Amino acid sequence: MSKNYGIIAAFDTVPEVFHACEQVRDAGYSRWDTITSFPIHGLDAAMGMRRSKVPHFSLVGGITGFCTGMSFIWWAGAYEYPLIVGGKPYFSPMFAFPVSYELTILFTAFATIFGMFFLNKLPMHYHPVLKAPQFVRASDDRFYIVIESADPKFNAAETRALLQRAGGKDIVEIEE
Amino acid sequence: MSAAPSTPASPAALAKKFLFAGFAGLGLTVIGLFVDAHGAALSYVVGISYWTAIAIGMLMLVMIHHIFDAGWSTVIRRQFEHGLSAFKWLFILFIPLVVSAWVKPGFIWHWMDTAQGLHGGHGTIGDDPLYLKKAGFLNVQMFTGMTVTFFLGWMGLSALLRRNSFTQDKDGDVNWTYKNRQTAAWGIPFTALALTFAAIYWMKSLEYHWFSTMYGVWFFANCMRAAMAMGVVITWWLYHRGDYKGIFNTNQLHCLVALAFAFVVFWAYVTFSQYFLIWNANVPEETFWYNIREHGDWLWVGMFLLFGHFFVPFLLWLSYRRKSTLGPALKISLWIAVVILVDLCYNVMPALRDSHEQPLPFLSLNLLWVLSSVVGVGGICVWSYLRSFGSGQAKLIPIRDPRIVESLTHHDATAPEPAPARPHWI
Repeated sequence: MSKNYGIIAAFDTVPEVFHACEQVRDAGYSRWDTITSFPIHGLDAAMGMRRSKVPHFSLVGGITGFCTGMSFIWWAGAYEYPLIVGGKPYFSPMFAFPVSYELTILFTAFATIFGMFFLNKLPMHYHPVLKAPQFVRASDDRFYIVIESADPKFNAAETRALLQRAGGKDIVEIEE
Repeated sequence: MSAAPSTPASPAALAKKFLFAGFAGLGLTVIGLFVDAHGAALSYVVGISYWTAIAIGMLMLVMIHHIFDAGWSTVIRRQFEHGLSAFKWLFILFIPLVVSAWVKPGFIWHWMDTAQGLHGGHGTIGDDPLYLKKAGFLNVQMFTGMTVTFFLGWMGLSALLRRNSFTQDKDGDVNWTYKNRQTAAWGIPFTALALTFAAIYWMKSLEYHWFSTMYGVWFFANCMRAAMAMGVVITWWLYHRGDYKGIFNTNQLHCLVALAFAFVVFWAYVTFSQYFLIWNANVPEETFWYNIREHGDWLWVGMFLLFGHFFVPFLLWLSYRRKSTLGPALKISLWIAVVILVDLCYNVMPALRDSHEQPLPFLSLNLLWVLSSVVGVGGICVWSYLRSFGSGQAKLIPIRDPRIVESLTHHDATAPEPAPARPHWI
């Protein structure tokens, strides 16, 4: 038998899953997720989620892009092949600015999208929750909470009891 | 709702104080006219342009709200509508400048007196080809007609937008919203042109040799930034008075400041464009404007603008917390409001020249007249806002606007949901 991935519970309505999230959050779990077919306002707070870390990737990307533009134009125009163009200095931040600005945007965009992929572990073609019974309804009329066995607070019996108290249905353990 | 609207300091009492400050400021400016007439007059141009910029920005924000049928901004729109009441007073305060153009042409705007000699004995302004080519636009009749048209247009737009919005509070008729949208449809292009030509006539033409296609856009950027800075100040005031408790939350604040943040970048973009194109083309008719601004302490004023008007607010507002927390947002907005004043000084005051055609320094007695003009005109404008706010002709928020519920429950997709009026964001 393969390794246990975690426990999944189904909920029928938004308020049920919302309040269940609050209970799981307050119980101190950290490695768990909620699966809904549409965004639920305020669910982030109910799950106790912090702000995304993606902006840090964006900032690093932006700074890298700006420095790349500036140093590349300096390298090409003032160091590797000095050439007077239009009576201007070999290097000036003035004419290097438009390119640096464009590269700032480009590298920020790359860093943002790839940072998001990295944090979400994408691309991911398989996920254990797909084994949950009737899981196809996650994209229709049902909501799920899955708590991973990798969570330090995870205990097969207690976690199941928590989800039961929170109103979860069809609670099952799923394999990796 | 956590607290019923209480009135710790009644708007009427506060309005009186601002009216008094306004008269004091204007009085000091008049004294300045006797000390240094030219310096005080140009300082007054800065002062009145500053507050007109704020009013124009508020007018644009209200009209942009209507034309896009925006949701989130409904809750703050009412405060800008109160601000629009200042236009008629700004018009009255501008009249002395128009009168001076007729009574003493060439005193403030040199091109109005074509007999005035050019520096270095190159004949008179009337002989100057650069003036003659622009004479169809730069003449006292056009100046007067345009300025009056702009103010009447802005006053008319403000009256329409205010009446429609305030009446909707009483009858709840959705047609007022449609009417305001139609007003905005012609009001936006009108105001865009008017603010451009106003900036050209009032400020840019002080050095009429100059060319810049970016000037109107630069002024627009400052108008919007100034109005949004005031928006944050008003939000802070209403929140601390208790009115906005449970009404204005992190999400609306984040939207307002994110828009202000976008205009930080917009200002930098157009201001850099203006400098970069002139630097790159290197044509004397254009570069002289920046050359004289590298003279004396103006170089440091320029550097201060580069860092203070762009880098500082840009880097600070990259952080989500400083966009969605009232304290930091207020501090950065106040900073921006001060720097916009320096930006206007940078554009206007170097028109004051010594006998060698070099600009008089920034750090001089003129700063006192700039300050007295800003307090003078500002006192009247804030008094006008408070009078409209306290008159009871309109509710705190457009309570029967069709978008008000959407605005009050506005949820910003990037924000964690806060409990209403949670203490951490104050």
